Amino acid sequence: MNPTTQRPNDPTNLRLCVRCILPETFPNIKFDTEGICNHCRQEESALAKAPAKKADYRRKLDDLIASVKGKAPSYDAIMAYSGGKDSSYTLKLLRERYDLRVLALTFDNHFVSPTAFDNIRAVTDALGVDHISFNPPWPLMKSLFRITARDDIFSAATLLRASSICTACIAFVKSLTAKTAIEMSIPLSAFGWSPGQAPIQSAIMKTNASLIRQNQKALINSLPDTVQVQMKSYFIPDIYYDLYKDRFPTNVHPLAFFDYDEERIKIELEGIGWKAPTNTDTNSTNCLLNAYANQVHLERLKFHPYVWEIANMVRQGVMPRAEGIEKIYSPQNSEQVEYARKKLEL
Amino acid sequence: MEQIRKQITEFITTNFLFDESITLGVEDSLLDTGVIDSTGVLELVAFIEETYGIKIEDEEIVPENLDSINNISLYISQKLSQLTADKAAN
Ligand SMILES: [Zn+2]
Repeated sequence: MNPTTQRPNDPTNLRLCVRCILPETFPNIKFDTEGICNHCRQEESALAKAPAKKADYRRKLDDLIASVKGKAPSYDAIMAYSGGKDSSYTLKLLRERYDLRVLALTFDNHFVSPTAFDNIRAVTDALGVDHISFNPPWPLMKSLFRITARDDIFSAATLLRASSICTACIAFVKSLTAKTAIEMSIPLSAFGWSPGQAPIQSAIMKTNASLIRQNQKALINSLPDTVQVQMKSYFIPDIYYDLYKDRFPTNVHPLAFFDYDEERIKIELEGIGWKAPTNTDTNSTNCLLNAYANQVHLERLKFHPYVWEIANMVRQGVMPRAEGIEKIYSPQNSEQVEYARKKLEL
Repeated sequence: MEQIRKQITEFITTNFLFDESITLGVEDSLLDTGVIDSTGVLELVAFIEETYGIKIEDEEIVPENLDSINNISLYISQKLSQLTADKAAN
């Protein structure tokens, strides 16, 4: 076979960990004699303790909510809301299980699918949630996405877990959520991270001002001068670190410690008017830039930007291995790749 | 301490770098150099808690404790000796 005709992400040409789905192209991966990767081995003891830890975190969240509910002037929680199934389900949990006053915030990167907007409206109406959408001007987003599509400007640590394009968007989402929470004195900020995206230990955590500050500085410094100044205005202003240091919210991502079953989540959401999108690729149910972001990451770095997250979920047993392979090792939806490429004029 | 330093270096190299042959200075700022990002810090905290059986409080997750291999190792050894002292006192 002519090697140039092989797809970089074709599992028939790649060695995968027999337990999770990390490929041999994942940086620094090592397989033992049983074909199991070092990440699976490293996680073994933590996984054994996970059920007890999850129960512990559910209690911790109950206690935290009891201590803050109804005390803030406007809202108890702000939810970073994409309209996808994970954030929709988290929002449902905050409303139905905890009866919190929630403000849902959508970062509109100019690639949010029409289906996602329909779902956002249906779910916020059904749950009785206030919603705001934030969109920076298209010229700024366009130049940011063109920069991140062409170069991997962020650190290896970031790129091992997400594409450059996604990282730029997530930076917006995180800082806008924190900034709004601080400005409106909202004590909780909620995210719909899947159980594969962030560890349980961080699922309930007071935001740490000095850490955020240092992180934002590193992110800003990664950006080229052309967009630095404009981008900085979306980040947390320096003055907030002193002026509002008591208002930094506690971050929660409950899906790390509640039972996670994709099919059951979809059924529950359909009960409140949410519809599974058909026009987006298999890994993201809400963003029309995703397929393109995946494609450029794959071409440059030879591993899928979602493989870390999905491998974690397979390892944790919340996703069958075959389904993980299907999600990660299927080709990107070429129509969507082209749609984004054209829109970005690349 | 030397053992801890070795384990932490290995964890960071395996989990956050593209290239294992890159040598990290024990005093280098992991956040400023972008070796670790915000999610990375949380993964590091999870690893430390799991490996050394210590509980890191939210307010201890600060750059002074976690920003370089030396700071991390020193922080862990202090937590471990505190743990031993607490046990002895009980
Ligand atoms: Zn594995």
